[in-house]
Amino acid sequence: MSNKIKLLIVDDEVKFLESIAQRLEMRDFDVTTASNGPDAVEIAKEEKFDLALLDLKMPGMDGQQVLEILKREHKFLEVIILTGHGSVDSAVECTKLGAFSYLPKPYELDKLLEVLRQAYEARLNKKFEADSDRMEKLTKVAQGSSPLGILRAMRELDDDQK
Amino acid sequence: MTKRTVSFADFLPFDHAHYSELRRKTTIRLLILYLGPVLLLAVFFFIQYDAILGESKRLHLQAIAESQANTLDLFLSERVVNLSNLLNDPSYPIPPSSEQIEAHLRRLKRSSDAFVDVGFFNEDGVQVAYAGPFPSLELRSYLHEPWYERLHDGDQRYIITDIYLGFRQRPHFTIATSRMIDEKPYVLRATLEPQKIYDYISSLREDREVYTSIVSPEGLYQLSAPAIGSPLDSALYVPPAVPPTGVEVAELHSRSAISAYAWLNTVEWALVVQESPQSGIPLLSGFRLIMLIITIVMSLIGAVIIFFRAKHTTEVQMESDRNRAQLTHAAKLASVGELAAGIAHEINNPLASISEEAGLIQDKSNPDFGRELSHDELRGHLDSIQQSVYRCRDITHKLLGFVRKHEVNLRRHDVHKLLDGVVDGLLGNELTVSNTKVVRDYAKNLPEITTDGNQLQQVFLNIIKNAMDAIGGQAGTITIQTEKVGNQIRINITDTGKGMSQPQLANIFLPFYTTKEPGKGTGLGLSVSYGIIESLRGQITVKSAPGEGSSFTISLPAK
Repeated sequence: MSNKIKLLIVDDEVKFLESIAQRLEMRDFDVTTASNGPDAVEIAKEEKFDLALLDLKMPGMDGQQVLEILKREHKFLEVIILTGHGSVDSAVECTKLGAFSYLPKPYELDKLLEVLRQAYEARLNKKFEADSDRMEKLTKVAQGSSPLGILRAMRELDDDQK
Repeated sequence: MTKRTVSFADFLPFDHAHYSELRRKTTIRLLILYLGPVLLLAVFFFIQYDAILGESKRLHLQAIAESQANTLDLFLSERVVNLSNLLNDPSYPIPPSSEQIEAHLRRLKRSSDAFVDVGFFNEDGVQVAYAGPFPSLELRSYLHEPWYERLHDGDQRYIITDIYLGFRQRPHFTIATSRMIDEKPYVLRATLEPQKIYDYISSLREDREVYTSIVSPEGLYQLSAPAIGSPLDSALYVPPAVPPTGVEVAELHSRSAISAYAWLNTVEWALVVQESPQSGIPLLSGFRLIMLIITIVMSLIGAVIIFFRAKHTTEVQMESDRNRAQLTHAAKLASVGELAAGIAHEINNPLASISEEAGLIQDKSNPDFGRELSHDELRGHLDSIQQSVYRCRDITHKLLGFVRKHEVNLRRHDVHKLLDGVVDGLLGNELTVSNTKVVRDYAKNLPEITTDGNQLQQVFLNIIKNAMDAIGGQAGTITIQTEKVGNQIRINITDTGKGMSQPQLANIFLPFYTTKEPGKGTGLGLSVSYGIIESLRGQITVKSAPGEGSSFTISLPAK
């Protein structure tokens, strides 16, 4: 298992997808691309990603729908919205749905890299907190419980985290 | 976007011609609606009035005829009585002396100045006593005169003859009475001057607008108005024997005249009263004149009201059209405002691509990454940048076309030439390279129309380009068909391409809506075309189904 950040990029413009993937790979990201919403959802089921870059306006399933599904199915995945549609409304809407940040196209690469770094940190923190929670609960359950009870509690907590 | 001042003239390129036409049509329609019934009513009243007038004239003439016949009957009876009173004097001397016969004449003339002379006839029909202006008649034998024979044929006590010339060779008529004394018939007769009787009859009438005449059963005038004939002429109108009175229309001096008649009781004469040319009420007098004036005045008032009404209607229409045009323009501007976000997206995407391509070139030429940038790679990135720039350019150009209030430049144009200009000129090379065949099914004698050639060509260009894209480089046909339908000309552009689904059809004229792959279309071509055709007062419609190609129809006024 490599220690590269695993990143999913979803955009309907293939040329753009190719070039941003190349550039981020050169900066040590593990990049996977999807050119539409349903593909992105499928790919995310098979492979665990740390972060996702998501275009809003796409034919078929649009970015907001993809965002909802991804956030529902992957608790620790941080999603950054990347779109040419620069309205505040859609930004607010996406943040409510759990997007980590909102970046208007065209962007500066350094800015994108900064947001990606913040998002990754946020993800690590969240995961850490969740792990601590788990440990705490486990400790509570462990006090005065049978080994069998502890095992059952661990399984339940694991289910929670998915 | 530059701010533009909005003026009405911009919106309504056909303003004046259109509204004066509308006003003209409204005026004519209202005039027909209003004046039609008024004129019909007037004509109806005129006809009805004539009928009533005719009927009343007939009754009037009949009344005159009957009353004059009665008067004449009475007059003749009185004359007979005058005469028979003389003869029936019990102490009548036979034969009377010349003094006595002169006395008779004086007495008769006192009764009526129509009496001319008087004579006494002995049993042999010889006039043995005579008083009057024709003394040569004395001692003549009348035994074989028709009236004398008729008097003795029947057992009539008196006779009134038709007018005849007799021995004296002057028109006159005779009243004779007979009396049997000692089985011998004696006759006293008097002659009367026809003119005096005529004067008497016509003096009864105030109204000189009729011709009065007396006609014998043989059809000879006994008496007549000088205008229609003299005594003993053939009558222009001979009334039927039955019924005893009546009204007919008869030919009189080559015009038809209402003729009333009444047969007399005392003698077989008919009294005929005919309308004279002056009797007709002049065509434009009295009631008719009033009717005509009322009709004209009502028509004039109506016409004036209609004139202003039509003017008002047209102005209201113009005002509402202006408001609508204003509203449409405002809505367009508003939608353009709303679209700003959409536009940003459309332009930002290619900008992002450019940025990424440029970034890649930077990265690959940055020694830190330790990558080699080949010429091919570099060319590829630069091509991509150029494509994105062109996309941005297309969007801004079409957007300008969409936002700009089209300054319509109207000229007479041959639509076929405009179409050829697009097919052979603008798209000539592209069409030759692709497998697309263009079939031109042009109508013969398609009229030239007044339109904006450049803008119309822009529409043709958009539609034909879409058709080419729909065919997509495979073998296909674009059929351009033109026709004149009513007061419109239609241009159908049909392709054999992949066609469109129902939802696609519903959105096809919306700005930024495209069925093409991302990055291929701006979604502005058809919405711009729609705006252009609307500003040219035409319509654009589309029919399509997936796999069955698409057919665009442009209708334009054939003016």
